[in-house]
Amino acid sequence: MAPALLAEITTSAQPPLLTREIFGNIPAWARLLFYAAAIVAIGLWTYGLYRRVRRWRRGRPAGRIRLNVVIRRLLRDVLLQNRFRGRPFAGTAHVLLFSGFMVLLLGTILVGVEHWLADLLGRAPNDPVFHKGVYFGIYELVTDTFGIAFIIGCGMFLLRRIRGQGSFDRSAGTTGIVTLLLVIGVTGYLVEGLRILLAATPLPGLSPIGFVCAKGFAAAGVESDSARTMHFTLWWLHAALALGFVAWMPYSRMMHALAGTVNLVLRDHPLGEMRPVSLEEVETTGLIGVATIEDFTRSQLVELDACVSCGRCQDTCPAFEAGKPLSPRNVVQDLLAAMNAPSRPSARLPGHVIADETLWSCTTCQACADICPLGISPMRMITDLRRNLIGEGALRGSPATALQKTDRAGNPWGMSGAERMAWAAGLDVPLARDHADFDVLYWVGCAAAYDRRVQRIARSVVQLLKAANVNFAVLGPEERCTGESARRMGDELLFQQLAEQNVSTLGQRGVRKIVAHCPHCVNSLRRDYPQMGGQYEVVHHSELLAELIAEDRLPKATSTTNGRVITFHDPCYLARANDITAAPREVLAAAVNGNGALPIVELPRNRRDTSCCGGGGGRMWFDDPPAQRVGQSRVQEIAASRATTLAVACPFCMIMLGDGLAARASNVEVKDIAEVLLESLNPPSGSGEP
Amino acid sequence: MKILVPTKRVPDTDQKIVASADGLRVETDHIPHVINPFDAIAVEEAVRISERLRDVEVVAVGIGGPEYEQPLRTALAMGAARGIIVQCAKPLDPWNVSRLLKAIVERETPDLVLMGKQAVDDDANQTGQFLAALLDWPQATFASRLEFIGNELRVDRETDHGIETLTLTLPALVTTDLRLNEPRYASMAGIMKARKKPLETIAAGELGVPLEPRVEVIRYRSGDTRRAGERLASLDEFAALIAQAAGIGG
Repeated sequence: MAPALLAEITTSAQPPLLTREIFGNIPAWARLLFYAAAIVAIGLWTYGLYRRVRRWRRGRPAGRIRLNVVIRRLLRDVLLQNRFRGRPFAGTAHVLLFSGFMVLLLGTILVGVEHWLADLLGRAPNDPVFHKGVYFGIYELVTDTFGIAFIIGCGMFLLRRIRGQGSFDRSAGTTGIVTLLLVIGVTGYLVEGLRILLAATPLPGLSPIGFVCAKGFAAAGVESDSARTMHFTLWWLHAALALGFVAWMPYSRMMHALAGTVNLVLRDHPLGEMRPVSLEEVETTGLIGVATIEDFTRSQLVELDACVSCGRCQDTCPAFEAGKPLSPRNVVQDLLAAMNAPSRPSARLPGHVIADETLWSCTTCQACADICPLGISPMRMITDLRRNLIGEGALRGSPATALQKTDRAGNPWGMSGAERMAWAAGLDVPLARDHADFDVLYWVGCAAAYDRRVQRIARSVVQLLKAANVNFAVLGPEERCTGESARRMGDELLFQQLAEQNVSTLGQRGVRKIVAHCPHCVNSLRRDYPQMGGQYEVVHHSELLAELIAEDRLPKATSTTNGRVITFHDPCYLARANDITAAPREVLAAAVNGNGALPIVELPRNRRDTSCCGGGGGRMWFDDPPAQRVGQSRVQEIAASRATTLAVACPFCMIMLGDGLAARASNVEVKDIAEVLLESLNPPSGSGEP
Repeated sequence: MKILVPTKRVPDTDQKIVASADGLRVETDHIPHVINPFDAIAVEEAVRISERLRDVEVVAVGIGGPEYEQPLRTALAMGAARGIIVQCAKPLDPWNVSRLLKAIVERETPDLVLMGKQAVDDDANQTGQFLAALLDWPQATFASRLEFIGNELRVDRETDHGIETLTLTLPALVTTDLRLNEPRYASMAGIMKARKKPLETIAAGELGVPLEPRVEVIRYRSGDTRRAGERLASLDEFAALIAQAAGIGG
């Protein structure tokens, strides 16, 4: 076919002008009717959009975003469709459909502009303003090519629906809209083919698909007269469907194109960050968190309209995977239904629209927010709703006890602050209050202070810091829980109380740089504490250790490992919330390179695609029976790998995965990267028990 | 219906408690205090009743200094409607606590008094029983289940031999055991929201109860600190050790 087309392009007779007549074969009355219908369609579109915007405006005003950020996001996240991860088939289908749609939309607008200009300048039908010559040639070739992308995209989406696998929503409305788009695309080509046949457009090969259609009609023996009637009929069908699509758009799932764009451009929540609550506001309104739709921010209500119910969040949610009653997609869809419900006053959301159990199932691992191509954060909706539940006293049992203990004793274990240095027995660890001249503060965290297993992480870290001659100190009895867990459970005021105490202590001790081995502490000190007036340079121990290794400040590894195989589990708050995936691997590589005999294998889900251990968001304090804990499939994944050692970089991961592996009687040993590194430096003595 | 819930403020049980050097008191100055856990169960049960039945008022009472605001605010955050602090600087034994509470009961005329079976600081386990006797009310101690059947109250109580079920006519007094319920979490946000609820202070002297101490604390002594464990090589060695300790040779 291609050489034949080429022949057509090169050998066709010299035309007077390379163009086509706009509204060719469409009589004046029909043009008027078309414009009238277009006005109606655009009116319906505008009204539909207005209705949605009015709903969004029921929310609280959201923060403002800088223009350069808006432009960058518009290019990267919207036009370049940069946020697709996973599901290659659907992702490709979307890129094809989207790019085709955008080009055809632009093409239609350009034709409209040409027609309007020609009318304004009083041009004859065969004397266009700019829709001619080389421009026309490029225009035809580009729109024709992208039209095919558009049709293939629609076809792939329909095929996926017919095959029926996957967690995406298959409502008739959505199938209808994809079918409608497909028919619009196909009729477009048919109209083009008939037009080429009728008007004998010069260089028809520039519209290859349309030209093939024309050839097809010719081969089928379509006569000039019947071609005219067919063209007129199909043109109307094409026009009516396209205008119908415009009118339907803001009432259908296609609304995601508008709301999604608004959300991708204006969203104001980096992963790992939470919106602060003002105490005065709580005092005056008596309200904390989100009780009804009106308590969400406007940008969150836009998120609800942006959701197409594709189910990527559900597929990646570790709580859903563990059989907990939580699907992030259903949370968003249920909230959307609540926003669209006509009842006033609005329904109470936590405990009614979204069940308590659902809200407590979330580990705040942020996989849902990270995977969503439209930048929706179901997790943030969940934590906002949790805040309200906490205010209502709707938490009982062991997680409630953990919060009470944190409140009273400054740590979830409830143990005395005076015992915070028990882990350091015999290690001579300097306290910041006695040793004012330190460069970096080692933030030990509650787990390493009170949990016997995690204490060994802190012991390893200080031995490494000492080996590298890092001038460090710890707060010791002055340290309190960061409040990270409390905040993500929804206990904002407890968090604020703890953060105020810590910010005051850190200020008193003149702390500027902090290292912590806990990604939750790192994230909280980085993202939560600036909201409370605490600005520090905060690094994870993997980053500091990688830096010390790169600067040759640590001795070279010497261990022999007897065929140990090591794998690494990325912590959510390190890999996703803080984008740190290279540093822990560099630390492990340094431990391995001592002999080259300790291979590192990657788990199937690694780096940003890691899967939660089940300990985040306060889930650490829920006493699920082992088989029902979030993260069991992750444990299985680790047990099924070739690894004999699981390296972790987070105390919660160590406890949750360690418990999970022990429950399976697995022989995989769980060690922090600092322990692995220290053992490789001095194999005979090991890290030493406290 | 009105439910009165007497509460006590006790040192946090997670903390190490030591006697003062002179043995006259317990060092509690720098130790966080909480509402007595058994009393929290009583508050929770009263609030649940108020959520289940109509027109139920839950009133929480505490006897002590201004520091009692904290446990009472906790009770209000959990759902009690109002609180009363009976201001009294003197340390009281259970008998005198019961007598002050009797005066409060006569003033408030509740249908039910729900309270913890004992306080976790002195573990006396007397106040509820004394109060029921002083009021000449039916009582059910160590309750693990409560149910209203008509105008009667059916209570399952935990005994050493199993569950005993009693039916009480109101007004009555019930003391709560551990398994009755799981108290809800009174967060700071909840306490803040409950700040508008009334918290009244009455001086103990106003109640017209002459305090007559019957129990005098002579001395406090710290318990033995736990000795470090020892790792044994075998189960046999362990059995031998036990036998030796029990004096049956080995």
